[in-house]
Amino acid sequence: MIYLMIVAMGLVVFFNRYVFLEPRLPVRLNRGAREFLGFAVPGMLTAICGPIIFLADHQLNLSPTNPYLLAAICAVALMFWTRSVLITVLSSMALFYLFRWWL
Amino acid sequence: MPTALPHYAFTRGAIAVIPLSLACAPWGLLAGSMAIDAQFTPLQAQGLSAIVFAGAAQLVAIGMVKSGASLISIVLTTLLLTSQHLLYGMHMRPTLSALNTRWRMSLGFLLTDEFFALVNHYDRETFNRWYALGVGLTFYIIWNLFTLAGIVLGKSIPGLDQLGLEFSIAATFIALITPVVRDVPTVVCVAVSLLCSVWLSYLHWESAVVVSGVLGMSAGFACKRLGVGQR
Repeated sequence: MIYLMIVAMGLVVFFNRYVFLEPRLPVRLNRGAREFLGFAVPGMLTAICGPIIFLADHQLNLSPTNPYLLAAICAVALMFWTRSVLITVLSSMALFYLFRWWL
Repeated sequence: MPTALPHYAFTRGAIAVIPLSLACAPWGLLAGSMAIDAQFTPLQAQGLSAIVFAGAAQLVAIGMVKSGASLISIVLTTLLLTSQHLLYGMHMRPTLSALNTRWRMSLGFLLTDEFFALVNHYDRETFNRWYALGVGLTFYIIWNLFTLAGIVLGKSIPGLDQLGLEFSIAATFIALITPVVRDVPTVVCVAVSLLCSVWLSYLHWESAVVVSGVLGMSAGFACKRLGVGQR
């Protein structure tokens, strides 16, 4: 079951990566489909972040002293100012542990 | 650059991708240790990184296996979660589709967010396949080594999942999302996706991520089509 899942996922991911590199493929995504897919990064990645930040350990935490929320806000600010993925990830991880220990 | 020696171009690509590979270290560790935690065998855990090679999709799939999701919903989530690669493929089509089958399929397999970030700006004249292979293959090897480390650590350190390491996923995704949020439709997309994902996960929907993601994308797309926030 797990091996079947791994192979199926591998095929799906390879399909997404390869299909438009195939020279024999004549079709092109129309403008609407491309615009919709353009929202894939913000839409899908945000949907993964939401539960991590607000539902740690399956408990709804909307408090302003939620360390996940505070560190996430810091990560947005860090990325905005530094434009560096590495600095943002490392600094916001450090801040997350600081907030968790402190609050 | 196209005339540069293969090993020189390969090394340049390998060096260029090292910072991006290190930023993914926590994910690689998590992809390994979470798989072990979800009762995968070490071979299955490594196989996920070796065959699927898509961090976000792997972590989400492991979480879905843990919560007892069906194979169909896992594969569908993977399809949607990695759909941005369709756009990368379209963008890289002029340079990569001209290569022979072996190179095209190899570089296609290695076409990650990080690969795209480093290789997308070359055109047909400046593109060097050895540079691209250096970027992709180095990232693949480092990703699999971190997964292996996660498998070993996950087995010997119980409670690795209690360390809050999952925040590094949120931190990395925030770092990838923030530069993309430049107009009103994208802000709407992020807001709808965030609200729905928290709400639907709170209600224990197994498909919360896919449904919220698609709702967010649809909301953003609708705003763009209606001309919201455009002068």
